[in-house]
Amino acid sequence: MTQPRAWWLLWAGVLGALALTVVGICVGSAGFENLLQPLLHPELDPGRSAMAQQIVWEIRLPRTLGAWAAGALLGLAGAVAQGLFRNPLADPYLLGSASGASLGVALALAALGGGAGMLGGNMMNGSVPVSVFSSSVWVRLGLTGAAFCGAVLAVLLTLVLSRGVGHTLRLLLAGVVVGVVLGAMTHLVLLFSPDSLQAMQAFMLGSTAFVGWTSCVLMAGVWCVCVLVAWLLARVLDGLSLGDATAVSLGLPIVPMRAALVAVLALATGTAVAQTGLIAFVGLAAPHLVRSVVKTTHGHLMLLSSLVGGVLLMAADTLARGLIAPQELPVGVLTAVLGGGYLLWLMHRGQAHEGGRA
Amino acid sequence: MQRAGDTEQSAWASRLLAALALVFGVVGGSHALQIVDDRGVTVTLPASPQRIVSLLPSLAETVCALDRCQRLVGVDRYSVYPESLRKLPQVGGGLDPNIEAIVALRPDVVLMSRSSRAGARLEALGLKVVALEPKTHADVQRVILKVGQLLEVPDAQRIWRAIDAGVSAAAQSLPAHVRGVRVYFEVNQGPYAASEASFIGETLTRLGARNVVPGALGPFPKLNPEFVVRANPDLIMIGQRSVDALQTRPGWQSIRALREKRVCDFPADQADVLVRPGPRMAEAARLMARCLETKAPGAKP
Amino acid sequence: MTMLTRNAPENIALSAHSVRASLGNGPAKTAVLHDVSLDIVAGQWTSIVGPNGAGKSTLLKVLAGVLHHGGTVRLLGRDLHRIAHRERARQLAWLGQNEASADDLTVWDVAMLGRLPHQDWLSAPSAADHAAVEQALRATQAWDWRCRALGQLSGGERQRVLLARALAVQAQVLLMDEPLANLDPPHQADWLAVVQALVAQGTTVVSVLHEISMALHADQVVVMAQGRVTHHGASGDPATHEALVNVFDRRIAIHAIEGQWVALPKTNPSREDRNGCNTHPGLLGVGSLLPLR
Repeated sequence: MTQPRAWWLLWAGVLGALALTVVGICVGSAGFENLLQPLLHPELDPGRSAMAQQIVWEIRLPRTLGAWAAGALLGLAGAVAQGLFRNPLADPYLLGSASGASLGVALALAALGGGAGMLGGNMMNGSVPVSVFSSSVWVRLGLTGAAFCGAVLAVLLTLVLSRGVGHTLRLLLAGVVVGVVLGAMTHLVLLFSPDSLQAMQAFMLGSTAFVGWTSCVLMAGVWCVCVLVAWLLARVLDGLSLGDATAVSLGLPIVPMRAALVAVLALATGTAVAQTGLIAFVGLAAPHLVRSVVKTTHGHLMLLSSLVGGVLLMAADTLARGLIAPQELPVGVLTAVLGGGYLLWLMHRGQAHEGGRA
Repeated sequence: MQRAGDTEQSAWASRLLAALALVFGVVGGSHALQIVDDRGVTVTLPASPQRIVSLLPSLAETVCALDRCQRLVGVDRYSVYPESLRKLPQVGGGLDPNIEAIVALRPDVVLMSRSSRAGARLEALGLKVVALEPKTHADVQRVILKVGQLLEVPDAQRIWRAIDAGVSAAAQSLPAHVRGVRVYFEVNQGPYAASEASFIGETLTRLGARNVVPGALGPFPKLNPEFVVRANPDLIMIGQRSVDALQTRPGWQSIRALREKRVCDFPADQADVLVRPGPRMAEAARLMARCLETKAPGAKP
Repeated sequence: MTMLTRNAPENIALSAHSVRASLGNGPAKTAVLHDVSLDIVAGQWTSIVGPNGAGKSTLLKVLAGVLHHGGTVRLLGRDLHRIAHRERARQLAWLGQNEASADDLTVWDVAMLGRLPHQDWLSAPSAADHAAVEQALRATQAWDWRCRALGQLSGGERQRVLLARALAVQAQVLLMDEPLANLDPPHQADWLAVVQALVAQGTTVVSVLHEISMALHADQVVVMAQGRVTHHGASGDPATHEALVNVFDRRIAIHAIEGQWVALPKTNPSREDRNGCNTHPGLLGVGSLLPLR
């Protein structure tokens, strides 16, 4: 039974994404400027129109759509994580993927010679310089590949530590342990390569600054795959919400399905983090925002959560680019403000009304 | 003729000065040395410090430029120029120094940056702390004079004059077509750029180049990469490691500097010189001048 | 007579042979079931009773196939673990005690989860599924709030929805662990009616119950203590009553009241009650609603 509210939210998500795409095209390093006219009527001002075309097609459109794709991936991963762990506080980084990606990026920055920028290169005094890392493999892999590999390897490590996906609690604990340990190792790497700190901070707070069409298409492709797999496994999540033993009694093969869900989680999170850095809160807030509007099964929840996540990140990214143009705010700060603010308002409203909200 | 007379006179003058210095030295020795650091704190020392620990590379370079390198007994792990500093004991980083190691070296004074929290701790342990942090050209001059005052170096001003002259010489050596070339200087991934307001920007301005990043954004702003595309600089200065990534940034292939291959990539050791606001700023200016000369539009290869 | 019918193989819905089970892991692992062998007759209602910690819930989980165990369990003559998962789920439904609760799903969605074993992987619920869910929700008087979220219901209402979920499976064998938790007496009576109707249709029902009076409505009673079955017999059998009284350290007494068997707790006859007055030595304990004899 698909509730009418679910349809309403679906349309809101789609239309919101479209509207924000248009706004996103108009926001950039010069703040808000109406580029629609030069785009739609090139004959009026050819010079400006050519510039508008280049800016929009090569830079702003992939960034805006990339923000949607990353938000959609994170929203989906958040819904999967909360269903998998039966915990409303779960977020997609729970299995250590965030710390793994950070460590990968830190190692890559250190290997590329300290910050991969101007501030660079002087590591330990007198001992063998870090050139042992500077083989061309790292350069080809780049920061994106390092982040993705780091995230996926961290999840694998978590699975090894928890000896499979049998026990939810063990999986959770292993994820927390891996997250903390890899985070500490990241700090250690940064200690020896302090000039990476600035670049590392840019990664940790998230940004769509270098998202081009390749990244955008990649994220969209991964999103399609993940949504499909998650939709197939939605029933398992519903069954799991009644407890492991009940799910088994309903004939669900929970161990292989759980492994598949963890794979979806790792893939979605790793891809998003690799392209846009660590953007917090979208994965946590999107499912809650959906649940505040409509109570529904996991199949619908994951799709709606994905759409809400995409819209949330698009809005945050547009604000991040526009508020202090030409400088940029970190996107993670704005997602926390937007998502967190709405959740706080919901909680306040919930307290004000006694009894349940439908 | 005049020369011989001058020599005689200068010999007399120097002897007189020496005698006076002796007298005043004895008297002056009992006067404390007072210096106001960048925090506004007046630090009083009984005498010119003989054992110095430095926690900021530019300050260690300044001490060595004033020819008092032998007074350094400990440095932070990032102070590696001049080479002799590598042999000194390292006491941790500038922001996270090893307090115990510093105290064990029994320094007369600790030179550090303003932003380090270790200052309060060290002062509580009874050590003298002088906090200086050069950020602009004017700062560098000021810091050289302060350190000169601290070390009782006569005429520390000449060090600054040498730097200043070096920068001017580098500027004058540039051909006319370089003037007004529009430069984008990227400091780090982010992208973080050096604006007109930074010391790097000041050097570029003195060399006659124009910075595409205005000073109003702060010294090292984190930019929207679209800004650089729209600004369309003629020349880009960047670290060697991240030069390849420039091509892959969306929209950047259209930038004039990339289309015409006007990118100066500096290897790690040169990059180190460029980002240090200290005595080697003249060398930094020369590096940048050479880059402008060879890569600016209108240059002959 | 009951022994003959009990042992006829085609009449056995569920049987356990030398079942051993432990809970916990590592050094805290404790054996909970010791060599339990049991035959559950098809088409009857069997109730498992016993003191706390006797292993009743564990035995039920073993019979449902959701717990690892030593020994064998057979469902309708076939080894439980050799049957394909979905086929087993269609034939056997299990309602656990204090399992996780899906607070964000609606009542209707929760009940529909009971149809999972019958649904194809990707298809929407069929008309048969809708009918089964409606029947189950009406049977537990939960149909009127089918659009409310589970988290908004009280304990008793939630229990009825979980019951409906188990009923929606429409399995031949229904295992229920403490199904009356949080239910008030009228709804306990409703539950009784539902079970009796199911048994009349030929469903095998096994329930673990704390309410001995309710358990005595069943056809068969299994008495357990300390991980072993101490007695298995008809509920009207005096031997069964004796076994029940013994397993509770003779602190209950079973009476026939208005045609039903009722078990009541009793105090120690030699103990004075709080007011200092001597209670009449006999069967009536604290909290009894019946008049003094």
